[in-house]
Amino acid sequence: MSQLIYRAFWSCTLIGVLLLSACSRPEESRLHAAQLLAMGTLVEVSIWGTSDEHAAAVTAQIEQRLRRVEDDFHPTRPGGLKTVNVALAAGRAVAVNDEMADLILRAQHFEEASQGLFNPAIGKLIALWGFQDEEPAKGPPPSANEIQSISDQHPAMSRLQLKNGLLTSHSRAVQLDFGAFAKGYAIDQAVAILRRQGIHDAIVNAGGDLRVIGRHGDRSWRVGIRQPDGHGIIASLALGGDESIVTSGSYERYFDYQGRRYHHIIDPRTGYPAQGLVSVTVLAADAQTADAAATALFVAGKDDWPLIARRMAVDQVMLIDEQGKVYLTREMARRIRFEIKPEPVPVIIKP
Amino acid sequence: MKAAFGLTIADKLLVGLVIFLLLSLYGRYWSSATPGERFRVSSIVNGIQTMDFGADRIIAIEGPLGTTRLQIAGNRVRFISSPCHGKQCIHAGWLADAGDFAACLPNRISLTVLGLTKEYDSINF
Repeated sequence: MSQLIYRAFWSCTLIGVLLLSACSRPEESRLHAAQLLAMGTLVEVSIWGTSDEHAAAVTAQIEQRLRRVEDDFHPTRPGGLKTVNVALAAGRAVAVNDEMADLILRAQHFEEASQGLFNPAIGKLIALWGFQDEEPAKGPPPSANEIQSISDQHPAMSRLQLKNGLLTSHSRAVQLDFGAFAKGYAIDQAVAILRRQGIHDAIVNAGGDLRVIGRHGDRSWRVGIRQPDGHGIIASLALGGDESIVTSGSYERYFDYQGRRYHHIIDPRTGYPAQGLVSVTVLAADAQTADAAATALFVAGKDDWPLIARRMAVDQVMLIDEQGKVYLTREMARRIRFEIKPEPVPVIIKP
Repeated sequence: MKAAFGLTIADKLLVGLVIFLLLSLYGRYWSSATPGERFRVSSIVNGIQTMDFGADRIIAIEGPLGTTRLQIAGNRVRFISSPCHGKQCIHAGWLADAGDFAACLPNRISLTVLGLTKEYDSINF
């Protein structure tokens, strides 16, 4: 009996040790990660399964492209968008190139789909709050009269007209600020370069907004979602194929003034920072849709976001309100895994 | 001296030792909280730097708001000062396990503890 137990024990031990050693974690040697500064943030490009030389060459192309997007679409630096804004403020028509025209049309589409909650025409309000400056905003907040005088003019993308490459505005109050989806657009541009260069497995992460294509070797890409308070990772999910995940949060840019916090996501209906939520995470096929939808749903708030999500055709959403309550769409609930203990008890909503 | 299942005291000690070794191996390689081996600091000013925990020290990282300081001690790292308003990065406390993450978004600095392999391929925020 003793011999039998002895043999069984050592057999199990041997199998255990073999299993532990054989199932080693995936090797990382085929992963090329490069970082670059563009779009006012840190961009990380992770490419799986190509040569060092190819990865470096493609990353250099991406850097060049993102720098151009940044120059062309920065609202205050000398360049394409500032020229457009100066003309719009003066009531003049202005010629725009194909890329600018394309972005304006996309912005008009997202504005219409979001019932005006995504509105890149409120550049004047964003500047008034100090969130357009290179330096972080410090306050104080603008006066109610200043805000009202701009809001009363109802700046909106729908007031722009584009014909034969010529842009005109029905309102001088329209000033374009593509901050709410420029990063998403830039990420999509980077992914287009990757694909053109024959790369099918990669992640482009621009300041926390990201798009994945393909896989990490024999598994999906693993993405963690940061907690709004900065204390680690709240949840994770496996992404693959071609998916983007973008979070808009009140913690990204803000200033405190006389005990009150003012963040950078301005509600076009009121001219003040949107209330009720601290973060909105959206998963969509492309980064610009995810980016625009995250902003629109944040502005929509706790009551109206399901309607706007439906109109913008996004069904994978996570929201966290100011009390820390988590809201998930059913589709997001199926994919997400909470990484904190105790796990939040989410409210599941079908948009 | 024979006991239950015919095992001697030496047998039992050996079994205990092997079970302990297996549990240790599991904890080291497979448990969700893997001790960190290194950490990575991302800054819009300084770029990305990967560092060993090594000796206890304080390091300065530059961001657009100014200097953020990190303390490294006993295979852990934490924010100890930052020019941001909310100080949420400091309240995050010590980071020690692979995948632990904290950030000072106003000063554009993030901190990730790395294990033998990365817990996440990318972080969304």
